[in-house]
This record gives sequence, C-alpha cells and structure tokens, in this order.
Amino acid sequence: MSISVSYQPTWLHQINPSFKLLTLTALFIGLLFVHNPNFLLYMITGIAVLYLFGTGHRWKVIGLLAIPLTIIFLSSSTTMIFFGEGEQTWFKFGLIHITEESFYRGIHLGLRSMVFGLLSLLFALTTRPVYLFYSTMQQLKLKPKYAYSFMAAIRMLPIIVEEFQTLRQALKVRGVQYSKGVKGMYEKVKLYAIPLLAQSIRRAHRIAVAMEAKQFSKNNKRTFYYHLGYTNKDLLFFFILVVWLIISYVCSNQFTVFPVEYVR
Amino acid sequence: MKKTLTLTDILITIVIAFIFSVIYKLWGPLYSFVGILGLHVDQLIYGMWFMAATVAFLIIRKPGIALLAELAAAQGEFLFGGQWGISLLLYGLIQGLGCELIFAMYRYKSYRLYVTCLAAIGAAIGSLLLDVFYGYIDSLALWNLTLLIVARLVGSILITGVFAYYLVEALDKTGVTKAIRPVSNDDYQRLEDEMR
Repeated sequence: MSISVSYQPTWLHQINPSFKLLTLTALFIGLLFVHNPNFLLYMITGIAVLYLFGTGHRWKVIGLLAIPLTIIFLSSSTTMIFFGEGEQTWFKFGLIHITEESFYRGIHLGLRSMVFGLLSLLFALTTRPVYLFYSTMQQLKLKPKYAYSFMAAIRMLPIIVEEFQTLRQALKVRGVQYSKGVKGMYEKVKLYAIPLLAQSIRRAHRIAVAMEAKQFSKNNKRTFYYHLGYTNKDLLFFFILVVWLIISYVCSNQFTVFPVEYVR
Repeated sequence: MKKTLTLTDILITIVIAFIFSVIYKLWGPLYSFVGILGLHVDQLIYGMWFMAATVAFLIIRKPGIALLAELAAAQGEFLFGGQWGISLLLYGLIQGLGCELIFAMYRYKSYRLYVTCLAAIGAAIGSLLLDVFYGYIDSLALWNLTLLIVARLVGSILITGVFAYYLVEALDKTGVTKAIRPVSNDDYQRLEDEMR
C-alpha cells in the first residue's frame, strides 16, 4: 500500500490499473502450466530488473520488501525437496528422502513463488488502490457499490488499528490475566475479536447508510472524480512482457541451467 | 426477503474480511518459518483464511456474501503487501466458491454448526484443488500428503467451522447483528403480535 511512502512515479504507475491487473492475472494462470524451471529462472531475472529499477521507490523499501521473498522461496520449496516423490535417491535420513526429481520440483516451486511474489510486489508498489477501483468501475464496469465499498473499507483500516491499540491498553490497565496454553489463546482472541468486530460492523453500517443516502450505489450515468483511460504505456508494458516471455522461452531451450526440463 | 446485496451488506462484508486479513497477516509470518520444516504445522491455521467467509455469511445471511468475503480478504492481504499477491485472488475465488456451494445446497437458509463446518470443508477442498496445480501436492510422498490434507481439514473445521460459529454467536449477544440481518418471518410475526 503506497499511502505514506514517498516515491518517484515511473511509467509503470501510468499503466491502466485494470489492464495491469488482468495482464498479470492471465500471466499467473499461464505460469501454472509451465513445468520448466529454466524458463522460470529467466522470467525472474527480467522481472527482478523491473522490480529493482522500475518502481521508483527508495532502495530501502525495495530491499525490505524483498526479504520475505527468500523465506517464501524456502518455505515453498523445502517440503517438496524433503518429502517429494522420486526415483533417484540423493539422501535419506528417517522421514527425509531427497531425490533428484523432488529436488528440482522443489526448486521449481520456489522459483514460481518468487515470480508470483515479485510480480505482486511490482503491482502493489506501482498501483494506487484508489486508481485501481476507479479504473475497475470505468473499464471493467464493476458496480460502483462494490468499488466504493472497497475504498471506504480501506479508509476504515487505520481506525481499526487504533481501536486495537486502545483495546490492548485498556486490557493492560485493568490487569487482565490469561490462562496458559490454548485456552489462554482462545480467551485472548475472544477479548479482542468481539469488540473489534462489533464496533467495526456498527461503524460500517453507519457509513454505508450515509453512502446510500448520497447515492454511492447509483449505477447509471455517474460522473467520476478521476478519469482513467488507456495510454500507449499499456501497449509498451504488454510488448515488454511478450518479448520477455519469448526470450525466456528461447533461452530456456538454448542455455539450460538446471538439467531437467519437465518437473511435473 | 431482499436477495440482492445492498451497499450496506457489501461494506460490512469487506470490513469483516479486512479485519481477518489483518489478523492473518499478523500471525502468518510466524508460521511460514514453521512451514520451512515441511511438517505442515502451518496448515492447522490455514482455516483462518476461510473464516472471513463463514463469519460474514453467518452475520449477513445472503447469497454471494461468502464469495465476496473471500475475495475481499485476499484483496486485503494483497493491499498490505502480502507476498503471495495476485495468486491469492485465485485462491480466494475458488475457496469462496467452495463455501458458497455448501450454503447454496442448503438454499442459504441453514445457519447451523454442521453446515458451517461443511462450508469449511468445501473451502478446504477448493484450496487443495488449486494446490495440485500451484504446489504439485499430488507429487508429495503419501504420508506427507495425508498429513497435509488432514491438518488442513482439521484446522478448517475447527477455525472456519466451530470457532466462527461461536464467534458469531457471541457477536449476536452484543446486539450488533440485529441491525444488518434481513428481516425474517419471525420478525414479521412478532411485529404483528405486537400490533394486536
């Protein structure tokens, strides 16, 4: 969420948000049917360049957000590496059974999570939520009541966080003691979740009634504060993606890094 | 009973979903460390994801709420910079459909505990289907795959089913749900009794 973070807008910010979302979703679905880790490796290098130099955010932000990617790489690959099925045994100790097939399949899964993670970060860092919802109303014909609800709900989040802190302080002042173990966790969740939910539902209800009174749910012939259209930046983005897909495909056939081409 | 979703229903659903995505975001990272071990302890809290759907449905009780809640929860985490990103939207869609299917089978008229648990299973099956494509879980060793499925199902039934049910029951006591639920025949009956 790029609300209080300062950044330099780049051409990626100017792409139509709905177009960006649809293109990336299509890419995601397409990547689910790619079973060649070499291809993913080449994809990552391209996307990483875009992520590092294209978002216009400061290095600190880019670096911090990249840290969880390594954890994701590990957590999505290790299960398959240690416990996956395969024929060529490399290592066996108790339950852990690493085979050649499972190793490369694990690496493939890790790479895939990285591609998805990088693309998502790229999207999140270069798209303002407000523009995304205005654009879905204008280009994808999403009903305004959905789009405005999303935007109103996002604005309510800071209030919820503040309420959470007040609640925590209030419970501390009153010296609430929790039981040990699972029971204590249950008590804790209950003490926090119910007031938070009840209060948020009440507030959401009040805001929604006001919004309905102001015709935010009106469908036809509405005017918009922000106008979003298509530009040639969209074409450029699409072109770059397609070219990079082709390059990755050619490279993955010509210069293989991993000695497997099909991990399924 | 008005069946279409009004702006009020939508806004409340999204806010509920966002609260759950915040909770998930807070305790999620802790469990992804555990996930590295590959023993699926993290799967036990996977049900937290579907919880938005059942809680929102039990509160608002209209068709489409479960699906919307799941999509909004996914969108919520996505907006807070969740690293799983847009793939979450796909997961949200298919899990929401899983829940929605169960509620639709009872024609959106049953709000009992076992239906909530069934919806939890529906969502879990949806997520497992996508995991076959995304995580190749069918290529795991059999005992490990069984562990994963059992852990996820148990987690979803406990969290998405049982916990969500009692949470909404506790919320009912605060009186907040009265304002937003569609009026039932009981309510009309009570009104008529009063008029007499």
